[in-house]
Parts: sequence; C-alpha cells; structure tokens
Amino acid sequence: MDHSPPILIAKDLTKSYGKVAAIKGVNINLQGAGVFAILGQNGAGKTSLIKCALGLEKMSSGSLQIMGYQPGSLQAKRQIGVILQDSDLPDLLTVREQITLFASYYPKPFSVNQTIEMCELQAFADKRYKNLSGGQKRRAQFALAIVGNPQLIFLDEPTTGLDIEARRNLWAIIRQFANQGKTIVLTTHYLEEAENLADRIMIMNSGVIVADASPNDIKKQTTGSVIRCETQISKDVLQNIAGVSSVMNTGRYTEIRSDNVNQSLSEMLQLDPLLSDLTVAQPKLEDVFSTLSQGEQS
Amino acid sequence: MNRIWQSFVLETGAELLKAFRAPEFIFPTLGMPVAFYSLFAILLPGSSNNSAHLLATYGVFAVMGPAIFGFGISVANERDKGWLDLKLAAPSQGFSYIGAKVFSTLLFSSISLIIIYLVAGFGAGVELPQSTWAMMLVSHVLATFPFILIGLIIGFSCSGNAAIAISNVIFLALAALGGLWIPMMLFPQSMQTFAHFLPTFHLSEIALFILGASGERDIAYHLMIVGLMSIILLLLTTLAWSKQRSR
Repeated sequence: MDHSPPILIAKDLTKSYGKVAAIKGVNINLQGAGVFAILGQNGAGKTSLIKCALGLEKMSSGSLQIMGYQPGSLQAKRQIGVILQDSDLPDLLTVREQITLFASYYPKPFSVNQTIEMCELQAFADKRYKNLSGGQKRRAQFALAIVGNPQLIFLDEPTTGLDIEARRNLWAIIRQFANQGKTIVLTTHYLEEAENLADRIMIMNSGVIVADASPNDIKKQTTGSVIRCETQISKDVLQNIAGVSSVMNTGRYTEIRSDNVNQSLSEMLQLDPLLSDLTVAQPKLEDVFSTLSQGEQS
Repeated sequence: MNRIWQSFVLETGAELLKAFRAPEFIFPTLGMPVAFYSLFAILLPGSSNNSAHLLATYGVFAVMGPAIFGFGISVANERDKGWLDLKLAAPSQGFSYIGAKVFSTLLFSSISLIIIYLVAGFGAGVELPQSTWAMMLVSHVLATFPFILIGLIIGFSCSGNAAIAISNVIFLALAALGGLWIPMMLFPQSMQTFAHFLPTFHLSEIALFILGASGERDIAYHLMIVGLMSIILLLLTTLAWSKQRSR
C-alpha cells in the first residue's frame, strides 16, 4: 500500500476576484502518473486553478497541497514544472542558455543536453528565442518545464495557436513523459486534445468541475447527435420519443439530443409537420457542458 | 550554497547577455552620456572652463540610463510576457532575479562612468587628485540605487509599451530639470527651487561637493534628502510590487 501523499489534492477550493467568483468549490485528488486534462471553455476557471496550485495567486478559501506541501513553498516548487498560458521567454537568449539557467534552480535536474534531446530541440537549441517558430517556442517552454525533473508538470493550454503538426509533435513528447511516470496536468479547450492525450478528463464549467472521468466515459456522454429545430411539440412529449436522451429550449429553438436520429426525427415530423429550421449536428463541447451541468443540478 | 551561487552567476550572465544583445539599450545607456559630455565639455566654445563641473553632473546622468531603462522597461516587459510569473513559479531564489539585475546594472553604470572619466581625463583635460577621482566614482556608483528604485516602480506598475514612454519622459525630465546637462546656476530662480524636489539635483550637488566645485554646499542637507527620497522610493517600490501581485 502506497502511503505517500497525493500528487495534488484540492478541497473545496474557491477563488474570487472582487465580486467575480472564478472557482466555486473544486475538489481534486490526483494520484500517480498520467495525463490529467482539465477541459473547459475560456473563463471556466482553468487558469485560476493552475495559478492557485503554483502559488501565483492566493486561493480565497479551501485548501490545496502539492505532494503534501503548500503551493508557492520552495518544496512544492521543486516538484513542479510549468508552461503558463500566453507566456513567452526572453527574446534575446538562446534555447540552450534558458535551459541552463532553469536547470540551476532545481536540486536534481536533467542535464542540459539530455533535456534538448528529450524535447527534440537539437535543430534550434542555439538559436535565439525570438527567431523560433510558434511550435519551436512552445517546445522550448516545455523544455523549461521538464528540465528540473519535476514529478508534476502543469501545461496551461500548451497547444493553443499551434498548427496541427506542431500540436501532434508536442502531444507525442507529453505522452512520453507520462509514460515515464510523470504526472501531467493539462488544460485545454480542445475536446480532441483531451481525448487523444488524457487518462482522465475533468470538465470545468463556470468554476465548477462538472465531470471527472476517463475519456471513454466522457465520450459515452457525447455520443449521438443534436437535432435543432423550431417546433410546437412540448418538452414532455419530446422526452418520450425513442432515442431522445435530453431536450433543451434555447429561445426560439429546441435542441434534442438523440442516440437514434432517424427514428426520433420521423416521430417528430409525424407529431409536428410544420417543424422548421431543422439541423442535425455532432455534439459540440458546449453540448457536453450543458448536458453535464444539467446532470449535476438534477 | 554552491548551487545558489551558481544560479546567481547564471542569472547575472543571462542579464548581461540580454543587455549586450540589445543595441536599443546599449546606445542610449552607454553612448548618449559620453556624447553629450563631449559636446558640452569639449566641443562647444568656452566649454573648457566647465569640464570638471560637468563631469560631476554627467556622471549622475551616466548611471541613470542603465538603472531606469534596465529596470523600468525590462521588468515591465518580462511581467507582460509572463516571464516573471514563470520565475516565481520556479524554485529560483527570490533575490537572484533582482540581485542579478542590480549587479548587471551596476556593471553597466560603471562602464558608462569609466568611459566618461576617460574622456574627461584625456579629452577635456580634467585634472583631479586620485582620491577625488575615487570618491567621485563611489558617489556616482551609489547614485545608481535611487534610479534602480524608480525603474522598479515603473516596471511593476506599467505595461511594456507604457514603460518605454514613461521611462523616457522621467529620464529626460530628471536629467534636464535636475541640472545634469546645464549648470543649475544658469536656470531661472523658480526652476532652481523646483530642482530641490528632484534626486538628480541633490546627487549632482554631492558629486560637486566632492569635486570641490565653486559655490557653497550644505552636504549634510543633500545627503539627508537623498536618504529620505530613497526611503520613500523603497516604500513605493514595495507598494507597486504587492499591488501587481494581488491582481
């Protein structure tokens, strides 16, 4: 039995900026290695959560510990590496110079050359940061996150703004570190990224974690299609139609989640021949959010 | 201990590399003071009478640039880009970020001073006892500190773009109105009175006292005001720091 403290544990964590509540009571318990994705739209509270864990911002109430240490303490910081959202490194230093500097902060870092190899930076290690492409810059930032050989790596939207090739490239490197026993906390608003990379997905919406499950379980909740139309059929009737799993009114339109679009549609058209403005689409992240937050409330 | 020292050395090295690779920093900080001094103390007719006097005031001018621009613009930029946050999240020693910047700024101030001293000694024919040169160097190097605090206040409270404009305005205003370019006695009375509110005026008066320049000077008064101003600037710096942390 392993009695070491969890890698990250948060209890009833809240964070407010003045009157605006960014995090409204979050509980997280991360154990062991793997990639943990926090999925959510902009403003969901992902970055606030990361900043609290790093000790860059004070939590308003509740508690959070990194391997038993307080966020922001030297002991906690030594266990952590990070890519911050929208951050940049000094333009005029080379990648190698920056890695060398960051390695000196940690007690047992990887060697500079080892880091360059692991992050595949050989081709541009001696270039100044400002001359790198977007994908290369992010890989240089990733190198700073891992050079200290930390147990816990926070990546706050590491692939935002990257093209698909650069994104896949970074995914492969991230996955490799998880396989080596590291714990990686990744925030993203790409469902695809979380599905591809994560062992566990936490969906955050308006400061609350509305789902916490494996990618497969999350996917199950996103299967089926969304039928959107203008109709006179009442919500109660719609909910009883074959295949329909949820019904939501969005002003003029009604959105119906169905696992069997053909059957649901034919029944709906029989009930309301004047049904108009019909579209059928795959569920988007927003649909997952709304389903999940409805599920939380009921 | 060894590791902390190694980290500090690397941090200082990084600061120096960043500075030496930025011509937009090197030219105004190292080039401008000596260019102005050469113009006013050597090239302009009748300037040879003033070359020692101007050395005292241009020495203060020489240390302003590295401190105000080095801290004001670079700290504001590094905050904007999230680099400061990244350092605060990393297990770096808190003092080494500021310590390395102070150290590299002092080095730049000293280089700038040495260039001006050489031009004064060999170009303008300023002759002073060795002890006076040494005392003046000490006073000029120490004069860097209040400007470092001014730079930090700008860096902690402005965005990167605003910092460039504000640093330049403050730099030029402190230099011109503090009597660093043209001797104070040539100013109208009201401006001479106003100069008492500027650290540049008091710092140059201290350097002029060391030089033994003509005119009466109350050295205790100037030292006291500089001390007082430094304490106020230090308080403002801590205020600006905690304000930007509690966003």
